[in-house]
Amino acid sequence: MTDDVQAPPESDKRPRHLAGDDVGIVRPREFTHPGPFAFMSGQTIQGFTLRYETYGALNATRDNAVLICHALSGDHHCAGWHSESDAKPGWWNNLIGPGKAVDTRRFFVVCANVLGGCQGSTGPSSADPATSRPYGINFPFVTIRDMVRSQKLLLDHLGVAELHAVLGGSMGGMTSMMFAMEYPHFTRRQIIMASTANESAQAIAFNEVGRQAIMQDPAWNHGDYPRDGGPRVGLAIARMMAHITYLSDAGMDRKFGRRKRDSAGGESYTFDAQFEVESYLRHQGESFINRFDANSYLYITRAIDQFDAASVAGSLEQAFAPVAAESLVVGFTSDWLFPPEQNREIALALLRAGRRASYAELSTDLGHDSFLLESEALYALVRGFLERSEGYVFDFTI
Amino acid sequence: MTRVVEKRTVDMRVIGEWVEPQSRVLDLGCGRGELMDYLVQAKQVQATGVDLDFGRIVSCVQRGLSVYQGDMTGFMRAFPDRHFDRVICSRTAHELDDPAGVILEALRVGSALTVGFVNLGFWKNRLGALVRGRKLRNAVYTTAWHESRPANHLTIADFEAFCREKSIRVVRRAHLLGDWRTPCPVLPNLLAGYALYDLARP
Repeated sequence: MTDDVQAPPESDKRPRHLAGDDVGIVRPREFTHPGPFAFMSGQTIQGFTLRYETYGALNATRDNAVLICHALSGDHHCAGWHSESDAKPGWWNNLIGPGKAVDTRRFFVVCANVLGGCQGSTGPSSADPATSRPYGINFPFVTIRDMVRSQKLLLDHLGVAELHAVLGGSMGGMTSMMFAMEYPHFTRRQIIMASTANESAQAIAFNEVGRQAIMQDPAWNHGDYPRDGGPRVGLAIARMMAHITYLSDAGMDRKFGRRKRDSAGGESYTFDAQFEVESYLRHQGESFINRFDANSYLYITRAIDQFDAASVAGSLEQAFAPVAAESLVVGFTSDWLFPPEQNREIALALLRAGRRASYAELSTDLGHDSFLLESEALYALVRGFLERSEGYVFDFTI
Repeated sequence: MTRVVEKRTVDMRVIGEWVEPQSRVLDLGCGRGELMDYLVQAKQVQATGVDLDFGRIVSCVQRGLSVYQGDMTGFMRAFPDRHFDRVICSRTAHELDDPAGVILEALRVGSALTVGFVNLGFWKNRLGALVRGRKLRNAVYTTAWHESRPANHLTIADFEAFCREKSIRVVRRAHLLGDWRTPCPVLPNLLAGYALYDLARP
């Protein structure tokens, strides 16, 4: 996920935490599971922590919770602001808030940083209690199912009896899908955006290049590096390349074209950044290394690559057979990483399994990151799916 | 209720009678989901719709219906034989790129297929063409040619000939007069304004 899809114009970048349609200043919290936690790989850790945020209030019947699942480089901060001086709100602030498509006046919204992440949840950069040093690559391999099982423990801790909905884009869509399969009677609705039931060779290939960039950087040192060091060059290159896969040809052309940096004036015969797109990618790489851990990048991309909804049951239809949630799958025309076809296939397999599922497609030129789009059409779809009242009787008087 | 709105309920009245309760129904070109919504509530069917337009998909989602945005033939190809108890193709046949292909594919994925269409052979439509010499326009097709989607209107005689040619079994017919309500006793190709067919594989 990129950091700045449809960045609002400068004048709107001021914190709007006092505006009525935002959740305002929010505070991350931590949930610690004290007991041992066994990963799918068979490895075990003695407890874990998830950093999370909640907006809105859990109702008396404890069934109005909406779980938001973040993508590869996302985190628990999906709406609101952390302080008045914040430059940017949470990553899905356009979708989540009072009166918004995911209405925090109706729903108790929960979003947690995934297990294996690096934004406050336990992951390879956390200290191993046995050695007091970061786990590094001694951290257990994480799967999407491990992420889901750990988040279920958080929801139990919060007293959530049933999820009104679970939703996410990209890896967040995989997490949603896994939630609906793993906890069918806990999950009433799911929205899967710009996702896939299993990655194509092309998507795995891009992740592998990213991992190689990290692991070939000598500073990676087999995952053993100090907190403020590590494979900064490798991680930045991984990010730059991945970032391209989140955009589209038309979108990049619209945003950058062949425009050159002002300072690049006459110096055409150097390898300094000349085109705007070059300096943009360099900036993306630079800012990423300051907020993301290289080992987490390895673990999470591996989890995404290994995710295959069909794998355990033998086929997607069999895997989806226990799903009780109503599903909405949303594809985006310009997404070539998890293209519409792969999103359609999720909806079709759910329907073949006899489940209730819908597929909608939005025409955009923002590529894979389109799920972060500021679009009234997308909002209407999400709101319509989340808010339609059950048992509503249409008047068919003839 | 206006005449047009009343006419729109023709599918609910007739198809509502033909549909088995609790059956699995596919609506091709489901629009905003009025018919599916009716069938879900009146017959407790398990309905899925297909349509191309995002706005209509949103309307269906708001009604709590299962709906798929995309090409109907591509959709049907993703399903095994007889996955649906009934496929409905109501006032859609004249806008299909490949009507025969869609109908035959619908007869594969559905145990039954219901097709409803406006009869171009209806005398008023013939007279309109003869007297006015203009594109078909009536209470249902209200727009001028340049504001209309490409349409390939058909008559009852055309459809009967098609079913004979493809050896499609006609299980039931409903030919309705110009009010789309009163059964048409004779000369349907001339006197019926609307036709519904319940089809099955040979």
